[in-house]
Amino acid sequence: MEQRFDRIGSALGALALGIAISLGAATAAAQQTIKIGMTTALTGPYNEYGEGARHGVELAIERWNAKGGINGKKIELAMLLDDQLVPDRAVQNMRRLLDNKELVGIIGPAGTGPSLAVVDMAQVDGRPFMNPIAQAPVIVYPDGGKPRPNVFSFALQNDVEMKKQAQYAVSKGFKKIGVLVESTAAGKSAADIITAQLKADGKPAPEVEMYNQKAQDMTAQVARLQRAEVDVVLYTGLGADLAVVKRTMARLNWPVQLVANNASLSPPYQEGAGDLVLGTQGAMIAALGQDPLNPAAKEFADAYKAKYGADRWWGPDADRPQLSMSLTVANAYDAASVLFEGMRIANSNDPKAIAKAIESIKDFRGVNASYTFTAERHNAITEKDLSLFEYKKVGDKIKLLINPN
Amino acid sequence: MNFTLQLVFAGVCVGSTYALIAMGLSLTFWTTRTMNFGQGSLLMAGAVAATTLITAKLPPALAVVAGTLLTAVLMIVVERIAIRPLIKSGESMGWVVSTLGFGLFLQGFVAKVFGSQAIVFPSLMFGAQDFVKILGIQVSAQYLAVLALSVALMVAMELFLRRSRWGRAVRAVSHDAEVAALAGIPVRRIVVLSFAASGLLAGLAGIMVSQITGTVEPQFGFHLIILGFVAAVFGGMGSIVGALIGGIALGIAEKLAGGFISTAFGDVTAFAILMVILAIRPQGLFGQREVVKV
Repeated sequence: MEQRFDRIGSALGALALGIAISLGAATAAAQQTIKIGMTTALTGPYNEYGEGARHGVELAIERWNAKGGINGKKIELAMLLDDQLVPDRAVQNMRRLLDNKELVGIIGPAGTGPSLAVVDMAQVDGRPFMNPIAQAPVIVYPDGGKPRPNVFSFALQNDVEMKKQAQYAVSKGFKKIGVLVESTAAGKSAADIITAQLKADGKPAPEVEMYNQKAQDMTAQVARLQRAEVDVVLYTGLGADLAVVKRTMARLNWPVQLVANNASLSPPYQEGAGDLVLGTQGAMIAALGQDPLNPAAKEFADAYKAKYGADRWWGPDADRPQLSMSLTVANAYDAASVLFEGMRIANSNDPKAIAKAIESIKDFRGVNASYTFTAERHNAITEKDLSLFEYKKVGDKIKLLINPN
Repeated sequence: MNFTLQLVFAGVCVGSTYALIAMGLSLTFWTTRTMNFGQGSLLMAGAVAATTLITAKLPPALAVVAGTLLTAVLMIVVERIAIRPLIKSGESMGWVVSTLGFGLFLQGFVAKVFGSQAIVFPSLMFGAQDFVKILGIQVSAQYLAVLALSVALMVAMELFLRRSRWGRAVRAVSHDAEVAALAGIPVRRIVVLSFAASGLLAGLAGIMVSQITGTVEPQFGFHLIILGFVAAVFGGMGSIVGALIGGIALGIAEKLAGGFISTAFGDVTAFAILMVILAIRPQGLFGQREVVKV
């Protein structure tokens, strides 16, 4: 009987020792990785942006880990959640991310709606929150003044973009300006910024028309602008909707100049409007339109093609990534890279230390731009990083090329 | 004046797409007093099937036929699994949910197989820039094609219902299925054929609208089905002529409201019309008031 108890005791002791060793190993392993989390549109109608952002973040992690990680520790995308660009889902995801205290930083959603829904939660939490795509300035600057201490944006903010659009329209001497925007927060914000910029330039207020996303017909909106005799239309919305606008303009025989936002100059526009895209202009992040590509862009392009091939985000030209990759993949790649650089400089997981470190970054060469942050400026892309592009025919192909004017 | 005419012509043409959808809804309402609330997904499925086949180098005409046949078959499946079991229990409205569920399933299936992004749909008959001048106004040839198709289908269906034996059989089933069965009319076959025809119309509508927008995506059709439903109620549920008139009237009202009041107002016009017609004439413009003996 005693022997039996001895054997049971020994077995239990060995089991306990084994568990302790395993836990210790796991804890040690966990402490060796730096964990980040992400919520984005992995599925649903907007997964072009979300899945692209995921590619960018995963590629950045791979590149950094290949160089030894951050101060000897590997990086891990520990939580990747799908919000389908739905604000409610983004909030639920954000709650789960913030409840995970092991996460050192968070990559935000792929659109303005869900980003606005979660950014206050992120600010209260304090951990670095990197916005890759959402364009509304209030995500970073809630009152228009000081930025949120832990929020950094790699989106082309629509105040930067819309000011550029408005200034371009004025510089070209267009007398009457029309604005056609989607009826979302991003669209309304764009219309307000253009109106304010025109007022600041002493120009009359534009004719503003709105449409609902995925509207199948926009005759009323386009006819109203046509009746108002505008001589340029500044557009903000998605590419597929821009194709409907362009086709409607063709049906109404109205060949007015169309200047579109960068997000719409994308494959859905080209595929939906075909040859009608010729002449459409827009301000885009210049990096992937330059020839040759800057060194960071070249490195990124080579790495992306090696990992993912010439896929939908890469585009139809096997030799060069398409321009819209700046908005779908490269922005998230740069957001992750800057986050990791901040962690490296801080050499700490402390959120405040990382934020301070990011603010100290000067001339960090990313894909889309060379980044400089300060305590007052947390948005990465500025006007100098943009160029005007136009759809032109080159041989038998239609390409989006830098417009030298 | 040009502006008004432009809006009216656009409304007539856009409304004819609503009419196509309304005719499809009316067909099934006629024979079973039910409607497929997933009809929007059938519009999408027909268009996706057609464009996939065209991409696979099938001649466009064959691809269109195949796409519409697919939606006819899908509609027969809808009748078999989402409607027939539910209407057996008499007054159950469960078919509303089951048909909607079928539509969501179809949407998810297409998104999984083809992706969530918009798929290019080629111009079949006319391009976006092809037009006809009417009273000095440039009217899109694509839209006129949809209008011509809607009118032709309405005429064909009216002739079928009034002048053919099968048409009389359909009307008999619509009036009283039990008595029609007693008279030897194959009620089950009539019902299945009406659903197949509704599916055909949905596929056609989806293909015609897709070539106007230039793309089709899984969520395509959801908004259109709401407008098609309003057109069917407005014109009179079960009336083919009502579906055409209701659709066109809705299209014109929508475009005029959007043009003269506000483009935001254009979107609520359909629901305003729905509320008014249900309040003052629930049977619709051309529908017949149903009398139920108690």
